[in-house]
Amino acid sequence: MVQLATAAVGATDFLTAQRANQRATNILLAALTALAGGLGYLAGWALEANHAAPSSYSAPRSIWFFSAWGQWLAIAIAVASLGWSWISLRFGARMVLAMTGGNEVTKEQEPQLHNIVDELSIAAGRRPPRVFVVETDALNAFATGTSEQNAAIGVTRGLLKALNREELQGVIGHEMGHVANLDTRYMTIVGVTVGLIALIADMILRGTRWGTGGRRSSDSKGGGAAAILMLILFIIALLAPLAANLVRMAVSRQREYLADATSVRFTRNPAGLISALQKIDSGTNIFPGVSKATEHLFIINPVHKMTETTSALMATHPDTGARIDRLRNLGIR
Amino acid sequence: MGTGGWIILGLIAAIVIWVIMTYNRMIAAKNQADNAWSQIDVQLKRRHDLIPNLVQVVKDAMGYEQETLKAVIEARNKALTAQGPAEISQAENALTLATSKLLALTEAYPDLKANTNISQLQEELTATENKISFARQFYNDSVMGFNNALQMFPNNLIARQFAFTPREHFAVPETEKSVPQVKLR
Repeated sequence: MVQLATAAVGATDFLTAQRANQRATNILLAALTALAGGLGYLAGWALEANHAAPSSYSAPRSIWFFSAWGQWLAIAIAVASLGWSWISLRFGARMVLAMTGGNEVTKEQEPQLHNIVDELSIAAGRRPPRVFVVETDALNAFATGTSEQNAAIGVTRGLLKALNREELQGVIGHEMGHVANLDTRYMTIVGVTVGLIALIADMILRGTRWGTGGRRSSDSKGGGAAAILMLILFIIALLAPLAANLVRMAVSRQREYLADATSVRFTRNPAGLISALQKIDSGTNIFPGVSKATEHLFIINPVHKMTETTSALMATHPDTGARIDRLRNLGIR
Repeated sequence: MGTGGWIILGLIAAIVIWVIMTYNRMIAAKNQADNAWSQIDVQLKRRHDLIPNLVQVVKDAMGYEQETLKAVIEARNKALTAQGPAEISQAENALTLATSKLLALTEAYPDLKANTNISQLQEELTATENKISFARQFYNDSVMGFNNALQMFPNNLIARQFAFTPREHFAVPETEKSVPQVKLR
């Protein structure tokens, strides 16, 4: 009942929305840790089943046993998942800043940029983040930081030159939206879990491959059921990382739309962001030093152009045209 | 004590917990609105400090526009003495109107446009105007959150007990909404 009441009030301002978002992130973290643990158990079970089976030709043991290996692997994976998340959350912001090669700028060096960041911090009701400029002609901007203390916003020199005040405000609003919506935290945890799922799936694949090899040579009757189960496990392990990646990209695209909408909610001016997106889309956005691990933090994909991606399903960012269409709809309201 | 007694006791405990949580949420919403109001105050003060500089720089170059300058100074003085949210928002809105008129006029003077001092001042004033409107926006959002927490049923029963009263929004008058945007670039 209390939760429902908070949710009703929560829609009204950003600080309350942020708290709701944080709760959702915690639930996601718990669910993903459980999933990783479950997969860990399966991996351990597969390894143990196959370790035991090929050696005993006579009596194929039942596949329904409590796997001690699985239990320990589940615990190990859950601990690794939490530890990895913690490290990423703690040091992620610093790593991103080091990778992009941005320099922190003072208010004296970039008065207008600092003013705009301060304006939008007030609109978001939070402390201003640190401000960085990357010396490149590429048109791009990024946000990072997993808490109010280590939040940072960066823009490229090319972007500062190409955009007017109104457009820059729209872009900074988008990045401030990422900060206020705690997207970095969210995407970090999602990224860690996707990585873990890939790791465990790989372990299962190795386990089942040994297993099917052993079974085929044994040619025992009881091994048939186990082999089918192994095959199912093999398929799950093959598909799980792909599915996890699809989910991650879908989340990333939704967060981009949300950051666009948040920007407009801050500035109450969709025109600035629309015109900025058009300019950004027609220029180069790619610059060195950005890896796939951080591409979702940018206003537009910094690794490859939208048109070059093979599938919209595997893209971190929605098509810019679609983003502009949604912003136009916000403007009409 | 029978089962009925325990049920009544449990109900009373649940109600007490609910009252405490609702009360705390109202206090949190109230503090957020108070803090948002002080943010507006900070930005308004900043604008009051910037205006004499602007007037000083503009004065020499714009000999003909004494009326506009006078209007800005008067609006500033009125804003400095205003009391209470309603009066303050009215006075500050008048000041916004006067300064935006002055800024629009500076566009017509080539000397002023070339002056780096004035372009810096323009940037600062634009930023301050934006900060004021964003602070106001955040304040109004916070007031809405606070008022919702107070007036929604059954919270309103508790709000009455603890004498919470709804807060005023920082109003934007119709005249300001129709002001043309000052293009600075």
